[in-house]
Amino acid sequence: MSETPSSSKVIGIAGTFTVDPLALHLKKELGKNDPSFAVAPYNQITQLSFNPEQILDAPTDLLIVLWRLEDIGFEELDSFIDTIKRLRENYKGTLIVSTPPYPSTSEFDVHDLSQAASGQIAYAQALIRFTEEVKKINSVNLLNLAGLIENFGSANAHDIRKWYLYKQPYSEKFWKVIAEQMARLISAQTIPAKKCIVLDADNTLWGGIIGEDGVGGIELGQDFPGSAFYDFQKHLLHLRAQGIFLALASKNNPEDVQEVFDTHDTMVLKRGSISAWQVHWNSKVDSLKTIAAELNIGLDALVFVDDNPKEIAEVTERLPEVTCLMVPEEIAELPDLLRNTGLFDIPNMTEEDKKRADMMLAETKRKSEGQTMSEEDFIKSLELKIEVFEAQEQHLGRITQLINKTNQFNVTTIRRNADEVKALHENSDIVLLGMNISDRFGEYGLVGVVILEKADEKIWNIDSLMMSCRVLGRGAETSMLFMTGQVAAAKGAQTLCGTYIPTPKNKLVENLYKDHNFKSENDGWEIDIKDLPAPPDYVDVSLTMKEGGD
Amino acid sequence: MSDKLIDLFASILDIDPAGLNDESSPDTVEQWDSLAAMHLVAAIEEEFDIRLSTKEIMKMSSIGLARATLKDKGIEL
Repeated sequence: MSETPSSSKVIGIAGTFTVDPLALHLKKELGKNDPSFAVAPYNQITQLSFNPEQILDAPTDLLIVLWRLEDIGFEELDSFIDTIKRLRENYKGTLIVSTPPYPSTSEFDVHDLSQAASGQIAYAQALIRFTEEVKKINSVNLLNLAGLIENFGSANAHDIRKWYLYKQPYSEKFWKVIAEQMARLISAQTIPAKKCIVLDADNTLWGGIIGEDGVGGIELGQDFPGSAFYDFQKHLLHLRAQGIFLALASKNNPEDVQEVFDTHDTMVLKRGSISAWQVHWNSKVDSLKTIAAELNIGLDALVFVDDNPKEIAEVTERLPEVTCLMVPEEIAELPDLLRNTGLFDIPNMTEEDKKRADMMLAETKRKSEGQTMSEEDFIKSLELKIEVFEAQEQHLGRITQLINKTNQFNVTTIRRNADEVKALHENSDIVLLGMNISDRFGEYGLVGVVILEKADEKIWNIDSLMMSCRVLGRGAETSMLFMTGQVAAAKGAQTLCGTYIPTPKNKLVENLYKDHNFKSENDGWEIDIKDLPAPPDYVDVSLTMKEGGD
Repeated sequence: MSDKLIDLFASILDIDPAGLNDESSPDTVEQWDSLAAMHLVAAIEEEFDIRLSTKEIMKMSSIGLARATLKDKGIEL
């Protein structure tokens, strides 16, 4: 419905206190994107939840709600949660709501000895209750205001003068902190997050040089500086658990590095944590290119970490798309290197993200086995299983993600936000199809999406068709098109149409329709559904349509 | 001749500095509402690296009075 160009976003801000300073600070942070702002009148969240557009006095793309327990009263927490639920129902754009900070009122004075326990407990319970309830609501992003205040220091964050004069609790310095965090949250909605960290080994994962110091001589463990490397590895493992790939680009003898991974007893990262190995004496530029190709991701999805300024300089110069981070001179700061960078911010992380790193490991296994037998025998041995199904509510998050990040195997590259996808899901003239793939090495998960739209009684049109590149070349695309045809036929269609919209990245699918017997018609492609090529017989394909459908 | 304080007020109030003088106050400048007053205080504190008391803030009900307050704090404009 709303076709607002992303270049000129309108951001709404509302709060239980005066929130106007955020607009000024956010304008500085988001500078080049030049958003405009609509600030709701002070403390009108309830009214806002019933009619956001009227209270904001403008249509907005994104709404930020800041609030505090001391403003609403602890006893009103449940009704405030209901307000947020109502706001989510009535507001169409992206919604960001803060977590409640520790109250600044005298009953909660941290210096009051008699209150130490009861105040903390009341606050902690309220924080947990609010956070849990809000996480249950679909598509509400949380801004950790409580954590920001704790990190910045409550005394520095507050400015009591401004509170009494303007009902505005925070210092300008702290508004800047909120704005920075906010800007990260906002850009995480639009800028693709990094997908892989490429690590040097010596003086990056451990202190010292393995080729010279040996497994017993490198620094890694409980004592500083080994403890800094240890903590850095722990943070890397944490990122991996969130779906970020880890890869190695090290100039070393492969056996030396493998020995550390296999035998050093305080290595946090294991061989299985690393999705791509490039350990040899060739250039790191080549290693990075190989890693990107092996993991099927763009160079712009890589973050490269090295302690050698020459390597950093060479990569910066020759592969400008790669984000380079140098190991800090002060090694105590290494564990924090990747924190607060915003590089890995993913809004509403899905289960698929968490599984992705494990799936990639299985992919490496698939590849290494593939080298020893013929390709055809290999594909047959995969026991590929493809399930095409009409999407349910629970799939919409992942589908939205694919719609917005699939670049290469994507025929039209039409991007849509969560609300637009939800609207498609509810439209009876549109069928939203998902595709799950698994094989004997594991599950890829939901990796393909088709948006099928009724053109007239006999003709259905493929509005969008996309697939993760990892699953190509094994009959997945043929299966997906075939099943799409079956769904259209079940709805009464005889003809299936599609279009190809070229982008700099989707040349891969230029001939998709042609290769599947579609005929060129006007500026698109069409086919009699009967003529669609059948999936290869080594694939186990199934189709699930909604029960009670027409 | 440009005046640093007038220019600062003009940029926060988003009006032409030529329309402002030391007599300008919330009563004579439409844009100078309570919200603008809040932004003005933040801008003055940042620009001159000072901290104003609530008493001083409440006294600054014209550009001239703001200038006097700053002078008391050792900032000559």
